[in-house]
Amino acid sequence: MSDSFNVCAALLAASLAFVSPLRAQNPSPAPATQTPRTPLIDLNESVAFEVCPHTGMMGSSGTFGLKLMMTYSSFSLELAGEQVIGRTANLYPVSINAVLNLATHGRLIPYGAVGAGLWLTVPVNALGAETVSTLGMNFGGGARFFITRAFGIRLEAKQYFTTISDSRGLKNDLLFFQEVSVGATFLFH
Amino acid sequence: MTTTSLLSRGALLLALVAPPAGSAGAQARYEQSLSLSAGLYAASGFGTNFYTSGRYNYFIPGTRWFIEGSLGVGSLTSKVMSSVTKAQIFTSDNLVTYEFAGAFDYAPGGALPFFLFGVGGVREGEETHFAGVLGIGKRVALPGFLGSNALGFRYDIRDQIFSQVINNSDPFIVHNITATLGLQIYF
Repeated sequence: MSDSFNVCAALLAASLAFVSPLRAQNPSPAPATQTPRTPLIDLNESVAFEVCPHTGMMGSSGTFGLKLMMTYSSFSLELAGEQVIGRTANLYPVSINAVLNLATHGRLIPYGAVGAGLWLTVPVNALGAETVSTLGMNFGGGARFFITRAFGIRLEAKQYFTTISDSRGLKNDLLFFQEVSVGATFLFH
Repeated sequence: MTTTSLLSRGALLLALVAPPAGSAGAQARYEQSLSLSAGLYAASGFGTNFYTSGRYNYFIPGTRWFIEGSLGVGSLTSKVMSSVTKAQIFTSDNLVTYEFAGAFDYAPGGALPFFLFGVGGVREGEETHFAGVLGIGKRVALPGFLGSNALGFRYDIRDQIFSQVINNSDPFIVHNITATLGLQIYF
């Protein structure tokens, strides 16, 4: 009995002696590799440029315009020009805007913007009338929704205001205009 | 209507709608195109004149939609106005149009046309009008034409709808119709 017990104990010790080092050499199982999900748009990646043709309404007048943007991370610098088609005059606001992107990853990028520029009011078919230029400011917000890495849709609402004075400079009027626009945006890196 | 005629009409409709095999077409391979078109512009009340336009298209990948920006140049010359009434309505006869539109092309390789809607500016002399634009058209790929697979031709019919005032008249709605044929290059 004691012999068989000794044999069993020896076999057990021997198996442990062989197995233990093998176990110790086995590398621990590697954790499951997770490929990082790259967002469709990453404004932190590099400086991005955008071209945004758009259309909309300012008051009851139709508008067409083009915006050129340079973006890095949350901040964008924007040059905007547009035509507001009126019945008696056309308005051409040209402005430089600072844009704060409220998101830098993903498809949807909401933003707020503020800027200033020059407003050119060009009368239509009014004899003797001259182009009037005034300084104006604007602020507003919107969102860009990217369908692909290079193309998206842009919605925006803005408040414009400017002052005009009569020809003798005796009276100043503060004018407010609201604009809603929709457009496309093409993104380049 | 008999079952046979119903079936034959259904088959005809399917043949029109379904793109032919192997004609995944330019939309699948290219994302953008430029085209140059020429044709006629019928300005309501002024007559019909020659018209040319350049168009840029962006085909949204994975969809049947594309967007278009276009610029067109034409004339408002009217023989009736100039020879009979001697009237000059606008400061010049120059016509410039620009459009910003979206289009749905259900069957890029099939026979059905695409449908387009958007907005545009119609500049008549010094006056500019904000217009709604409706249209249909067709892009036909020309594989192997001039040794390239990136060429095609297209036809477009557009209706530019806007409100017009002439000589202090009450505003009235006009429909200016364009019909053009053009050459398109994809890239």
